[in-house]
Amino acid sequence: MKVMKPTISTLAALLIIFAGSSAFAQESDYRVQQDFRAEYNEIIQGIDSAMSSDDVSQISDDIDQLEADYSGYEELLNAALYPESFQNQIADLRDRLSGTGNNISAVQDLNDRIAQLQSEMEDLRNQMTQMNEEGTALRQRIDRSASNERRLSALVTQYRQNIESRDAFVNEFLEDLLSRYQSMDAQTQSDIADASESMDDNPLALIQTVLSEYINQADQQSGLTAPDYIRMRAQHAYFGEVWDNIGERLANTYASDSPVQARQEVTDLLSTWEASINNKLWNSISTAFNQNGIELQSFSNSDDFSVALNAFVDNAIETATEQNEQADLDLYQSFSDYWNSTVKADWGEYLVNGNVLTQGEIAEVDVKIGDWARNAEPVSNLMFILFLISLAVIIGLIVLLVTKKS
Amino acid sequence: MAKPKLITLSMCVALLFGAAACGPALVLQGVDYAQPIESVLSPNSDAEVHDQRYAVKFNISPVLEEEGVSSVEQVRLIRNSAGYYFLTAEGFSNVYVFAPEESELSLETIINITGNGLQQPAFNQRNGQIELVDMATGDTYNLDQNGRR
Repeated sequence: MKVMKPTISTLAALLIIFAGSSAFAQESDYRVQQDFRAEYNEIIQGIDSAMSSDDVSQISDDIDQLEADYSGYEELLNAALYPESFQNQIADLRDRLSGTGNNISAVQDLNDRIAQLQSEMEDLRNQMTQMNEEGTALRQRIDRSASNERRLSALVTQYRQNIESRDAFVNEFLEDLLSRYQSMDAQTQSDIADASESMDDNPLALIQTVLSEYINQADQQSGLTAPDYIRMRAQHAYFGEVWDNIGERLANTYASDSPVQARQEVTDLLSTWEASINNKLWNSISTAFNQNGIELQSFSNSDDFSVALNAFVDNAIETATEQNEQADLDLYQSFSDYWNSTVKADWGEYLVNGNVLTQGEIAEVDVKIGDWARNAEPVSNLMFILFLISLAVIIGLIVLLVTKKS
Repeated sequence: MAKPKLITLSMCVALLFGAAACGPALVLQGVDYAQPIESVLSPNSDAEVHDQRYAVKFNISPVLEEEGVSSVEQVRLIRNSAGYYFLTAEGFSNVYVFAPEESELSLETIINITGNGLQQPAFNQRNGQIELVDMATGDTYNLDQNGRR
């Protein structure tokens, strides 16, 4: 029996082999080529509908399997597929799959970028919202503390820090946008535009939110003073500069249906923000100068401000030249100190960046202050008195000598 | 009497020279007409089949009449290396072998396969012969233009 078992197994194996070879013998060449064409077309459809790298991997295996299954029929298939050939068709499948794989890779990269962008937008918006809420809470506390000057001052300082933090945050966001979108080509814009339709949030919408909050902040009565508004002007100028650089690309990317309208909306918000700042800026500057004993003529724009400064200094020089009194020297000292230690030292960078004064205008005032210094110094009478005394002594001696001789 | 003989002799010589001038007919030997794979053709409403790949078109009505059927879904056609066409269809009892002539296919032979009719016939080109396989029964037949081998 031990001998029989292998024999039966062998027979069974032979039977299977025979059945297999019999089945092979009963093949139809026509069916073989039909089956090959069907599987080929199925793979083509699979390639066309592939959505992921897993699909690509599976189809690659299918192509390998197809090649393995039909390589024994290569001659037959070459005849059936003429002028195509079996190997050409397999190569064609691999080429198509490679193209699709590249496209899928590109789409997946894009989706990853969009997902990352979406996540960043959420983070940015959350941080922005938190800062806005802190700012609003501070403004409310400032309103409630109007009677307590010391407490008010502390709250305004805190509010100012909040604004500075938000400006720094926004600037970082803008710099990031600049680096990403300044040199973005049209194809990438178009790709992101297609993919961004599914985004809940996007940089363009965030920019509009930021601008709205800036306008709200500038419109509030919150104890802010001239340097705060000058700083806002500088921030506005920087924002406008960034928008000029990337606004068109952002609008084409994130508002591809109506880019012109989207750009106009942001431009309008920038104008509104500037107007809100200006509403407070010129009065606050005038007040700041007044509080330091400098009465400037009224002004409501940067040109008028420059004119007012020059007019004040010119008048002061003229008065000092004419009167040459201690009061003129005192006024000079007061203006010079305020101009150098506050206006130029504390505000200078923002004045220039915010287009409130140009470097040239500041230099012009500096030159005039130099003239003023020379004219404001009172001239001493001591020499004149000594001269008169000397003259009197000489005349006295002459009279004495003449009197003695006669 | 001598003159007619001379004329006849001259004509024979001229004919001989004429025939020699024509020379033997140009013949290309060893032509292989074999189709590597059968064609499966669907007749139109006029019972015409058209093999676009091998550029042949004909009417199968006489074959249908011979088989005693009014129509078939598809016919299967293959040509062997000698240039004969082998034609059959599902339900046929025979394979029809035709020789191509000028604007016609003339029947060379009818090869009887089964009285029950073929169920899923298919032709293969195998080693210079035509292999007929009934895919349903697994029966296989080797054929040439003279009949079964």
